[in-house]
Amino acid sequence: MNIKGGYFRKGLHVNLTTGGIERCDLSEDFIERYIGGRGFGAKLVWDNLKAHDFHIDPLGPENLLVVAPGPLTGCYVPSSGKNSFIAISPATGLYGDSSIGGGFGVELRQTGHDYLAIAGAAAELSVLFIDNEHASIIRMPYLKGKTCLETEGIIKEKLGSHDLHVAAIGIAGENRVRFACVNSDWSRNAGRTGIGAIMGSKNLKAIVVRGTKDLPVHDVAGLAEETRKAVKYMTEHKYFRLWQQQGLMNVIEYANSKGILPTYNFKATTFAAHDKINGETMLEHYKIGDSACFMCPMCCSNICLVKNGKYAGTVTEGPEYESCAMLGSNLGVERFDAVLAANKLCDELGIDTISTGSIIGAVIEGYEKGVISLADLDGKGIAWNDDDAILDLMHRIAHREGIGDILADGSRRIIQQWPEMEKILLQVKGLEQSAYDSRVGTSMGLAYATSDIGAHHARAWTIAKEIEEGATWSAEQKVDLVMYHQAVRPLFDMLGVCRLPWIELGLNERHYEKFYSYVTGKTMTLEELLKLSDHVYNLTRRLNIRLGATRKADSLPYKVTKAPVLTGPNAGKTLNEDEFEKMLSLYYEKRGWDKDGAPPIEVEASF
Amino acid sequence: MSRKLAVIPAECSGCKMCELVCSIKHFGVNNPKKSAIRVLITYPHPVVRMPIVCSQCKKPPCEEVCPVDALSRQNGVVSLDTNLCISCFHCVESCPFGAIYAHDECEYPIKCDLCDGDPECVKHCPKGAIRLVPEYALGESKRLNNVLSYTQMKEIEFVEKGETKTLQYAEIGKEQL
Repeated sequence: MNIKGGYFRKGLHVNLTTGGIERCDLSEDFIERYIGGRGFGAKLVWDNLKAHDFHIDPLGPENLLVVAPGPLTGCYVPSSGKNSFIAISPATGLYGDSSIGGGFGVELRQTGHDYLAIAGAAAELSVLFIDNEHASIIRMPYLKGKTCLETEGIIKEKLGSHDLHVAAIGIAGENRVRFACVNSDWSRNAGRTGIGAIMGSKNLKAIVVRGTKDLPVHDVAGLAEETRKAVKYMTEHKYFRLWQQQGLMNVIEYANSKGILPTYNFKATTFAAHDKINGETMLEHYKIGDSACFMCPMCCSNICLVKNGKYAGTVTEGPEYESCAMLGSNLGVERFDAVLAANKLCDELGIDTISTGSIIGAVIEGYEKGVISLADLDGKGIAWNDDDAILDLMHRIAHREGIGDILADGSRRIIQQWPEMEKILLQVKGLEQSAYDSRVGTSMGLAYATSDIGAHHARAWTIAKEIEEGATWSAEQKVDLVMYHQAVRPLFDMLGVCRLPWIELGLNERHYEKFYSYVTGKTMTLEELLKLSDHVYNLTRRLNIRLGATRKADSLPYKVTKAPVLTGPNAGKTLNEDEFEKMLSLYYEKRGWDKDGAPPIEVEASF
Repeated sequence: MSRKLAVIPAECSGCKMCELVCSIKHFGVNNPKKSAIRVLITYPHPVVRMPIVCSQCKKPPCEEVCPVDALSRQNGVVSLDTNLCISCFHCVESCPFGAIYAHDECEYPIKCDLCDGDPECVKHCPKGAIRLVPEYALGESKRLNNVLSYTQMKEIEFVEKGETKTLQYAEIGKEQL
């Protein structure tokens, strides 16, 4: 055997319809080629899709939900608390995944399983409890309508221990809101692609894990030595202290100064009231503590408390940059306590902050432009900076009341209802766009367009590098950068570690080949690992092609190419459509895909 | 002079690196739950993140309840003699801080030994939330904080070599107690 550590070589398969629980052995080939996390998930979802002749209703019992940490999750490796959720997305109808930090993935691995795969649907609202090698499905109908935070509290009380982890959905997940998330450690969310709705469709309120096993690490001493070098580099970095203090909130000022901060539904990209919602304001008036994911020295999460005013008493972990931008400047909200209240409400209801902010922003603009009428809004008007109306609309989305019932089905449904909204909503493949404007960096446009899950920055985040260095880049350089990111960043999701030490503090990615080798006992170079990541990228692409995606699915939101930025250093800019199409063709060519963006069908034999 | 672990809960981020380095040092395994230090987290009322550490008590309740005298205090460390221990785990229950731990796979209670005077948790905490301090220095920061909390601090501005500076001073005797 090449691989000596890193895996328990066990997968746990649960069928909620039949109540069947099976542990299966993982082959050497499977763990070698798919590594873990997103890799395991993509492969299992592909196999399931094939078994269903490529027809799956994302909210039907046949959709397989895979929960997978990676071989480095929970190990003595910087920021190793990551875990992925993978399934066919109800938001896009295509491949979907979302990852979560904290300690859930660590605890799941400590139960002695390398992944968990859930099929079927329970007859009644249930909780899946995995206590080391014992798994059981427990009916808990009384959890109906409970918030994510309440659910976590009730389960810990019922099971009589705090030494376990819960991943739960809120009312939005139960109601199959297509951007519902899975919440763990009270405030960490696998937010994107509607994973929470899938759990809701399976009548699965929560997954509870309690694990106590040693994680299989081949060379503990070697790993410790390598990690100490990496942690030393991180803690000595000039921005390390800033990350500990502000976390991702420091990006608000950066994004505003560079003109990429989503403002008024991306009409503008600088926000006049940026200083009211930035990291400095948070530090001065709201922050009461740090919070870190497992094994992370950066502790980028902030715990905030509103001490006075109408939101007094609100305690929440967050916001981080995306949440603050999408629920703050994107909705024109000029007070940080309202952003905190909105962030907290998203955690409670279990809805994704990015999609929620994006959809509500589009509704406000649509109402402003007369595309959506007051009657459509159930007689309740909404405007920029109107925090009461914004919070109220969040409730209606999660509970599917009035217009909320349409909005809850996400961008694709909204465009069906009001075709003019296509010009207002920012989405790719049905997934609402993250909080970085792509009219400024064309590589970021390509990144959003070609991401397998839709307009999210997880696969490639090239905007900062392009702003800093890219003025003279050729189209090919931009394509190369996007492709490199699309290999490295998913690799982190396969290994089960966070990418922030690399992308934000510049921790050399070579460390990760060593981490992998010490943990598994199999020597691999970064290049070899990236090749495996690319293999998974081809798989998710084939999967999307099989589900009907074409080149058209890789088009950018209308606004990006047609609506010039209104303010700031990038005023007047749009992304040049011809230039983009040329880049897209070059991208397909370099990947060896055809003109429609399809990898050759023969590669399916290698999946 | 004996030294003790002191915890600054306000600094703890809950990353649990202390647990992991403890398990590697004492058991040679990667298992945050096989550790003589565990981070307790409560949320949201109240928000607490706090590593629970052994106080190496001078009159240790664990030593008192041990039926076979397996626990004894030497050179400032309460240590467990596994040759004598019968694994009744009374010590785990008797500790007023819950700072001795049990694990399914471990025959004996897991008890902090201060790593021969150079604790791993102190060395690797990225927030400096766990410190090893001489006994006489315990409480010093609390005393200082306490005094500052009721002292009326005043600020004056002054100019030195053309540069405006500020100076803080305490108005002693005018405290609002």
